[in-house]
Amino acid sequence: MVRYLAILLSVLAGATSAVRAQVSASAKPYQIVIKGGHVIDPKNGINAVMDIAIAPALDMQPLAWGQALSPDQEGRIAMIAENIDPGLAVQVVDAKGLYVVPGLVDIHSHNFWGHDGERQMNGPRGLPPDGFTFRSGVTTVVDAGGSGWRTFPLFREQTIERSQTRVLAMLNIVGEGMRGSRYEQNITDMDPDSTAKVARTHDDLIVGIKLAHFSGHDWTPTDRALAAGRLADIPIMVDFGSAKPYLPLETLFLEKFRPGDIYTHCFGGNSSTSPDGRESIVDVTTNKVKLYVLEAQKRGVVFDVGFGGASFLFAQGTPAIAGGFYPNSISTDIHVESMNNAMKDMPNIMSLFMAMGMPLEAVIAASTWHPAQEINRSELGNLSVGAVADIALFRLVEGDFGFWARDGKIAGRQRLFTEMTLRGGHIVYNLNGRVDPINAKYISN
Amino acid sequence: MQRTLLMLGLVLLLLPGLTLGQRRNQPSSILIKGGHVIDPKNNINEVMDVAIRDGKIENVAKQIEPAPDSKVIDARGMYVTPGLIDMHGHFFPNAGRGDPAPDVLTLRSGVTTAVDAGSSGWRTFPDFKREIIDESTTRVFAFLNIVGNGFSGNEQDTADMNAKLAADMALKHKDNIVGFKVAHYIRRDWIPIDGAIEAGELAGGLPVMVDFGSARPALSLEELLLEKFRPGDIYTHVFGGNAAVGSPVSPGGREAVVDQEGNVKPFAFKAQQRGVIFDVGFGGASFDINYAMQAMKHGFYPNTMGTDMNYHSFNGAMKNILNVMSTFLTLGMDLSSVIEGATWKPAQVINHEELGHLSKGAVADVALLSIREGDFGFWDREDYKIKGNQKLECQLTIREGRVVYDFNGISIPDPE
Repeated sequence: MVRYLAILLSVLAGATSAVRAQVSASAKPYQIVIKGGHVIDPKNGINAVMDIAIAPALDMQPLAWGQALSPDQEGRIAMIAENIDPGLAVQVVDAKGLYVVPGLVDIHSHNFWGHDGERQMNGPRGLPPDGFTFRSGVTTVVDAGGSGWRTFPLFREQTIERSQTRVLAMLNIVGEGMRGSRYEQNITDMDPDSTAKVARTHDDLIVGIKLAHFSGHDWTPTDRALAAGRLADIPIMVDFGSAKPYLPLETLFLEKFRPGDIYTHCFGGNSSTSPDGRESIVDVTTNKVKLYVLEAQKRGVVFDVGFGGASFLFAQGTPAIAGGFYPNSISTDIHVESMNNAMKDMPNIMSLFMAMGMPLEAVIAASTWHPAQEINRSELGNLSVGAVADIALFRLVEGDFGFWARDGKIAGRQRLFTEMTLRGGHIVYNLNGRVDPINAKYISN
Repeated sequence: MQRTLLMLGLVLLLLPGLTLGQRRNQPSSILIKGGHVIDPKNNINEVMDVAIRDGKIENVAKQIEPAPDSKVIDARGMYVTPGLIDMHGHFFPNAGRGDPAPDVLTLRSGVTTAVDAGSSGWRTFPDFKREIIDESTTRVFAFLNIVGNGFSGNEQDTADMNAKLAADMALKHKDNIVGFKVAHYIRRDWIPIDGAIEAGELAGGLPVMVDFGSARPALSLEELLLEKFRPGDIYTHVFGGNAAVGSPVSPGGREAVVDQEGNVKPFAFKAQQRGVIFDVGFGGASFDINYAMQAMKHGFYPNTMGTDMNYHSFNGAMKNILNVMSTFLTLGMDLSSVIEGATWKPAQVINHEELGHLSKGAVADVALLSIREGDFGFWDREDYKIKGNQKLECQLTIREGRVVYDFNGISIPDPE
């Protein structure tokens, strides 16, 4: 990799015109000013046309591909105001007609790609994040249980440290991680003590405990995940598997879950009156969200979308949204299958929730500030002065669009398209080049 | 996934009324109605219906009535083209660079065939085949790197360039390996290129694709194109290099196909006439809009629209094949030629003439594209930007008769 970069650099050096001059001793205080965009920053209650100025990082060298940003490489938000002089910035982004929001936080992702493992654990089904995050406006992902306490060090080395995307993790309660059913059914590999110990050791990166795919009428896996969550003082996220008869959601939400625990795939389930499989949150006989679900959300249980390949149903989502029950967070459950299926990416499912009637501001909150709080990273998902400048710019396009899921399709008049993404003040995705100059002539500190 | 299947199974058992995810239960017959078909091989460029049955193109005609079992897709206002072929990408994450696996950035761009350009060599190809080729929905071919370890190895290591072993691997995997690749070499000798061409000959006349590296002083591009290359060999990154290289003051690097006055070098025309293929290979630092503009002004067009998709170009100016194609549309190339450069032409170049067209009986790899009007920008490695008002967008991708990507659900029945 280093060798490859060295060769690439030498190739670039050969093409003299491709060498990017670094401006030194610039008098300009800001690296970037984003001009004229409509800022939606739910944490700070901003929903208006504003300018944003970004201060340069301590170390504002061009980013290396395939390498995590160090804190010194992260530029921060310096000012947000109605009118900031573009002459004060090295680069000026023309955001007229665009929405400017905090970089999206996708708390249900699968990124443990690799060679020697299986499924979502060190296998080909995990996605190296950078190719799919930035083009969707996502700057932070949480890998939801790809790794367990035994495999996390490899995940850290192989994915986290090699991604410009901020990658956090929920540790699978299964020591091997998401390696496939014969591992995920193995209760003896669900060790709360070892799991909590690794979570505490890496508390800069591990934000929760994940339970997934367990099939069986048995609370033990849930209890073990909760035990690990208590020991490490972090939330758990549950993909509730299936059982015959199902384990009641009411027990999970009101007796097992602590406030802050996360129920993902919240619009999935059997969506029927069957006693088997997985219960759904909307009662299909009344088309209303079940009362204990409303009560659970009130007491702090988190309802997360986790759209995935087959985990969202209009039969559940449409009545819930129409009745005013919004998911706390919108997340993808992205993997090779779901991204080529109905789910696709964050902007697609955000647009789908808008088409169901959820307002833009609520959709943005559910994709930024809410998930940041859910994972106890309240420094993320907002545009406060001093925050790391993770920012997404979207264009809301009017037209005839369709959104589908495994149980049907709805029409929509609006669709979000990602125009630009900034990670730590660096432009890491830029669809139409709406910035001048296009590439940073970095301020040297 | 196993869980997904389990859940789907449950849903099937419990809820006979629910329709399944479309990828798992698709009809054997699809009728695409009212789209504007562009099929360069067959000289079709007009509104036509396309019928697909059992994974193959059944018929292309003005008016086709739906069969009783057909899923009808309304393609009015869209272009219907052969599934796109990306001549130049990097799709082997485990070569160590974090390149994308094919399915994730191909299907959503209308690409049904992706050619990996040298990520694997003869020693690593079996891994590439097992982990990627055999596991992907996208049809994946490979140019075998002349370096035995491909991108996992040292591309300067001439000791690891073995024409015989490379050719043997290609002969063993004729279905997957379509040629040989040389890339990133910086020394002033012809060892890798001679080796790749020798491998091409030993393997029965397979083409080589050359990323011309950078030597000091530069190796002669004229010598490569007119003396080394056989007709059918591929010069990628055609609008890269440096126009100043080759002049007396230039220290080295790589020549461009245009000179400092913006004229196309006569040998480039001559090479194209004798059958050398010029591939875009946009990549992270290999595309200069001004070179492309100057060349096209003088009538020199690229043959193929290879992206050089890789772990950095996908977030750079390149993004995906539709963005590359839209760049060339904006530069004045006509839509049909742009489509040809991403369908029939690359199919011929890789000697897979069964692909890249919509002839009756051909495998039903199809892309439905639309053109979005708006204010767009396209830019290059020099930060040079042009404005455009059209951008290609992928609406639907069909691979061997199955819908594998559907942006707006146009293949899903309308709600009642």
